[in-house]
Amino acid sequence: MTRYLARRLAHALVVTLCVTAVVFVLLHMLPGGPVRASLPINATPAQVAELTRQYGYDRPLHVQYGTWMWNLLRGDLGFSPQLNMPVRDAITERLPKTMTLMVLGIGASLLIGVPMGIYQAARRYQRSDYLLTGATFLSYAAPVFFVGLLLIDLLAVSFRVFPAGAPQGDSVAEILSQPNALVLPVATFAFCGFAQWSRFIRSATMDNLVQDYVRTARSIGASERQVLWVHVTRNSLITIVTLLGLHLPTLFAGAVIVETVFNYPGMGLMFWQAAQNHDYPILLGVVLFGTILTIVGSILADIGYAVLDPRVRLTA
Amino acid sequence: MEPVLRIEDLRVEVRLRDSVVRAVDGVSIHLRANEMLGIVGESGCGKTMTALSVMRMLPPRGRIAGGSIRLAGKELTALTDAEMRHVRGNDVGMIFQDPFTSLNPTMSIGRQIARAARLHRGLSRAEAAERATDLLELVGLPHARQRFDDYPHQCSGGIRQRVMIAMALSREPKVLIADEPTTALDVSIQHQILDLIDDLRQRLGMAVLLVSHDLGVVAGRADRVAVMYAGKVAESGDTDALFAAPRHPYTEALFEALPERAAATRTPLYTIPGMPPGLARPLVGCRFAPRCRYAEERCTVEEPPLAVALDGRRHACFHPVGDPPQPLARPAAGAPQVPTVADDAAAAVPLLSVLGLVKDYPLASGAMLRRREGTVSAVADVTFDVHRGETFGLVGESGCGKTTIGRLIVGLEKPTRGSIELDGEELTTLKGAAYRRARRDIQLMFQDSSTSMDPRMRIAATLREPLAVQRVGNLRERRHRIEELLGKVGLPAAALHRYPHEFSGGQRQLLSFARALTLMPKLVVTDEPVSAMDMSVQAHILNLMRDLQHDLGLTYLFISHDLAVVRYLSDRIGVMYLGKIVEVGPAEEVYRNPAHPYTKGLVDSAPVADPVIERQKLRSGIKGELPSAIDPPSGCRFRTRCEFAQDVCAEVEPPARPFGPGGHVAACHFPLARPAGVTASPAT
Repeated sequence: MTRYLARRLAHALVVTLCVTAVVFVLLHMLPGGPVRASLPINATPAQVAELTRQYGYDRPLHVQYGTWMWNLLRGDLGFSPQLNMPVRDAITERLPKTMTLMVLGIGASLLIGVPMGIYQAARRYQRSDYLLTGATFLSYAAPVFFVGLLLIDLLAVSFRVFPAGAPQGDSVAEILSQPNALVLPVATFAFCGFAQWSRFIRSATMDNLVQDYVRTARSIGASERQVLWVHVTRNSLITIVTLLGLHLPTLFAGAVIVETVFNYPGMGLMFWQAAQNHDYPILLGVVLFGTILTIVGSILADIGYAVLDPRVRLTA
Repeated sequence: MEPVLRIEDLRVEVRLRDSVVRAVDGVSIHLRANEMLGIVGESGCGKTMTALSVMRMLPPRGRIAGGSIRLAGKELTALTDAEMRHVRGNDVGMIFQDPFTSLNPTMSIGRQIARAARLHRGLSRAEAAERATDLLELVGLPHARQRFDDYPHQCSGGIRQRVMIAMALSREPKVLIADEPTTALDVSIQHQILDLIDDLRQRLGMAVLLVSHDLGVVAGRADRVAVMYAGKVAESGDTDALFAAPRHPYTEALFEALPERAAATRTPLYTIPGMPPGLARPLVGCRFAPRCRYAEERCTVEEPPLAVALDGRRHACFHPVGDPPQPLARPAAGAPQVPTVADDAAAAVPLLSVLGLVKDYPLASGAMLRRREGTVSAVADVTFDVHRGETFGLVGESGCGKTTIGRLIVGLEKPTRGSIELDGEELTTLKGAAYRRARRDIQLMFQDSSTSMDPRMRIAATLREPLAVQRVGNLRERRHRIEELLGKVGLPAAALHRYPHEFSGGQRQLLSFARALTLMPKLVVTDEPVSAMDMSVQAHILNLMRDLQHDLGLTYLFISHDLAVVRYLSDRIGVMYLGKIVEVGPAEEVYRNPAHPYTKGLVDSAPVADPVIERQKLRSGIKGELPSAIDPPSGCRFRTRCEFAQDVCAEVEPPARPFGPGGHVAACHFPLARPAGVTASPAT
């Protein structure tokens, strides 16, 4: 297990190096740039050159990357002129809030998707199964921003049940103290997320229901309910755990959109704003976070798999 | 006495998209208390459907369409689903074919048994765990308490089947249904499991319904036997009487298709022409009539009833075999067979010569820094010759290395050490074009023809491929070649334009055979070519292999776990155990006078379709389980399971010693026969 983790961490370092290097190069190929963005439209070329030199953007690309990497190793992610604060502080302030949103969102979509998938598998190829399948396709097809806007229009503007904006505040506690305002962002997350979980669980459950060990369970007199909950569900959930880990990056991408639509003060919103303002240090910082999230997600998936499935030993 | 289980006129229908298959059509059988009834038949005859009907566990589209199933006076077909659940496990237990998939992979074996014991009973968790431990001991699992928390994947197939039996018996049912309980297991383990079932039947006084395709499995243990064909019982009666003198022509044909009965005489096996009828259409007359050699016009228009004959046996036939019944000719036991080829061939240069062949698989962990953690010794210093025109049989249980040897010879794997010579040419050092040229002469016939052919390639392309790869002939010559081969294996030329899935399993195996022959190889390696086949299909393929060997002068390396088949087809046999050849010699000689205790155990374990022989063999066989090949036992590898083993067996690897004519050689310190040229046996 220790050796497994050590090896995975070595892999992770290589991957991080590659991803950040690629993003670094791509960012610098974009027209415009942080200097133009932080100066007024009528700035003189001399002013631009001066600020470029100050920020260090006149040096060769590999030197810039080297400096960024070196600073990163010392725990310094750079300074965002636009936010006027160190990138690390910006991320640590917003990360818990984004995590809160993601956990609530995933939780809600699993809460809907998993029982729905099991129900569908138990009623496979019957009318209720087909109806719910239709609902999942609706969820698949709807873009996140569209669902968010639709919910705002319906529940905030027309009926005024929930506020249109997300909760504001600097800490998670402040965010959680406004549960009303959290409903719409979480609901958007759940609506766009439950479909894949219910589809995964449905097919995993159906696969398991025709396994020989299910026949064995029936042969000793177990009821269909016992078969489903004692034998099948655990085996089906193993699939979900793996997928959950591998889906973390996708979920983060979803968070970026939800936060933007609802003006939720998390990393996603910050990322979107940074992208518009050519705020390279912030962009790089968030990309680095995304890379780490992807790697951690897949390690968590492997570990979760090993914990749940006695046949798996971590030796890769 | 009222039977504990009585099935009357049972009819089972399976609804397909646009037809209804009458899988079971009017079956009546009964099972008395403490009795074992064997149901035998080929695939699709309805034997499993009959068994599943008792449990009301038919596949989703199947239903009981009529008839009655009475269990201890209770009509099962009238019960509600909830009442039926109570019957399962309480009154009837069932064990299935594949112990590898029949247990929940994420639940420990102890918990699975405990769950079964608790169902419908008010046992506490602790009581159930106690009961589960007792059950594990009952089914012969040593150290039951320590193994309680093991998961199925940590257990061997034999242990898993024992766990299945423990679950089925956890609430002491009156009837145990065993549906092909040992088909997925090795013969030595099969023998142990069948002994266990028989033993538990006596001790618990339960009745057993044993469903099997294998006449040998049923022969030694069942009190009565019912033979099924096309959804009906063709014949039933006491085991001894039925095996001694079958009355129904189908039963007779099955017996004549058995390779073990013809092994001594080497006569061609009887093959039943045609295929079983489809059960979706209404059938008129006797269902076996189209394939029956005694059929008359009456048989095709009128259905024979399952009538009770004067001797108390039942058979559904107008022209029963041997009326009045005559015992089936049993091959004279003990008559020494003259080795056919071996003697004169021994002098000649062998076609294939394998010398000191070793194959180790490193057990490494890690993708980047490979660390050697051990070695799986799959083939350990194996030496044998195969002579021109003979069939050399390699027999042994799974994990003995026989398949690996086949793959090494064909060139699918590289040996760790040792030499393989074909016609005097060393194959292991050949490279490039010379290697490809040499590969032409050795071809492989696979076990599973459904997965060894590209499903998207037409047969013509599949058969032509070897010729194209080896750049033999032009397009016209190639087409001519494959058409000729197709004729040789007895398939119509139209087959060329079809896809593999359009053929039956037997036909696909014929195609696989044809593909192995396209390059006119000197040696054909056949790995379990008939293991997945029904008896009648197996007979057809074995006959064809033998005919073509004669016509084309082929040499076979025949690999199989089935001693009867190997013995029938092979001139000489090599018996393998855990990577070693323990005994080699002429087929009949090795079978009748085995020198190595493992060979003897294998002969005793292999079921024979003869109740008299089978009963003599009860409680013999090989004890224990195959040790791991990662750290194989020192000295003689069989010593951990051998009843004669002494200290020397662990210290010194036994050398191969001659035992008789025709190059009969065995490697054992304490052989069962006296080595040739030694006056006093060392085994005193």
